[in-house]
Amino acid sequence: MAEKFHTDLKVLKKDTLAMSALGRLMLRNAVDALIRQDKELAASVVARKDELHKMEVRIEEHCYQLIALNQPVAKDMRVIACTLKVITASMRIGRYGKVIANIVKDISEKPHIANLMSIPHMADLVIDMIDDSVKAYETEDLSFIEDFSARDDTIDALRHSIFREGITFMMEDPRNISRCTHYIMVARYLERCADHACKIAENVHYMQTGERIEIH
Amino acid sequence: MSENCIISTTNLNLWYHEKHALQSVSMKIPKNKVTALIGPSGCGKSTLLRCFNRLNDLIDHVKITGEITLDDENIHAPDTDVVTLRKRVGMVFQKPNPFPKSIYENIAYGPKVHGVKDKGELDKIVEQSLRHAAIWDEVKDRLHDSALGLSGGQQQRLCIARTLAVSPEVILMDEPCSALDPIATAKIENLIEMLKEEYTVIIVTHNMQQASRVSDYTGFMYLGKLIECGKTVNIFEHPKEELTENYITGRFG
Repeated sequence: MAEKFHTDLKVLKKDTLAMSALGRLMLRNAVDALIRQDKELAASVVARKDELHKMEVRIEEHCYQLIALNQPVAKDMRVIACTLKVITASMRIGRYGKVIANIVKDISEKPHIANLMSIPHMADLVIDMIDDSVKAYETEDLSFIEDFSARDDTIDALRHSIFREGITFMMEDPRNISRCTHYIMVARYLERCADHACKIAENVHYMQTGERIEIH
Repeated sequence: MSENCIISTTNLNLWYHEKHALQSVSMKIPKNKVTALIGPSGCGKSTLLRCFNRLNDLIDHVKITGEITLDDENIHAPDTDVVTLRKRVGMVFQKPNPFPKSIYENIAYGPKVHGVKDKGELDKIVEQSLRHAAIWDEVKDRLHDSALGLSGGQQQRLCIARTLAVSPEVILMDEPCSALDPIATAKIENLIEMLKEEYTVIIVTHNMQQASRVSDYTGFMYLGKLIECGKTVNIFEHPKEELTENYITGRFG
């Protein structure tokens, strides 16, 4: 019995990794579509939202089944609790990808202002955080997430700098307002994705140690 | 365990012939709480339980070292009266074992042995004990019928009532539900929850879900040693010892 349960847990983790990979890919492709003003790529991101949602529902149901049928405790319970949080965070990350992809069609007619300011760099850092939080979940190695607090501070600082830069361009020329508002929103979405990576990291820490931490 | 403790063992060792069945067990049992002892078969949990009211004295070739105190008094002190000890520390066994007598006589037996003769007093004790064991409503109209006519679950609650009749401080339960169906088990578990208001309960169970449901504290034993003991919620959420983790998650045992 216990052996079957532990095999099921491995399957659950594998499915969760596949789902978080899709959420991450949607965000990556959305940012690439924004940088290259590639409407086709943006449309492909939007098209995958339902697939991501179905994966979330299926994994969530699997978690509830495992709880109902096996009454897991200790680490087994914490793996399932963490998995439920990881899929929620992955869903949100994918959804922000979709929201950014929707912006692409609105701002693809004119060239970008100041090469999108720091958005491409910020996106790389955010996606690295998502990758590391998921790697920590996969490998159970907490070293991937140990500097998350400092990395999150960098992301917050970048969002603030994009906000100020955007305001400056808007003041220079009101025709920039529409695009700059979108940039400021994208920076905000990326910051939220980094927060979700931090949430995953906090839950992986709980999964491994049983202790709660808060990453600011 | 910072709470008020009623029983405490220090470096308790027990041998059955050559077999070292309990090895340096030191633990504290908090008062008015439910403490569960879990562990794989043969780990010593029942042996430990039977130390608390010196039931192991009845077995030949048992040697015990170390100390057990009940309310700070050494239960192996020469002036300890074992009958009084067993009145203070009652026990409920795995299989219900009512006397082949009436329901009333089963409950009144203990108080009579301890000197209660007044009929009115006995009636009161019988009713109160049966009420405390949540079986009064089911048997009040047939107190003079044989206890052997009750169902297994009722018999077990009768045995609990019989234990309560002599006003113990501690109730030891050795797998009290393993011979019962799920509904009877649920009744006993609810009863345990109520009993801790007035008594201290120590329960041995092989059923980990039961331990997590009914107890406030859990001790995990393995090969005669107490591996880990602490609040049940901590043991089942994040045990400190890998051995505990492996046992409660079903990786062995």
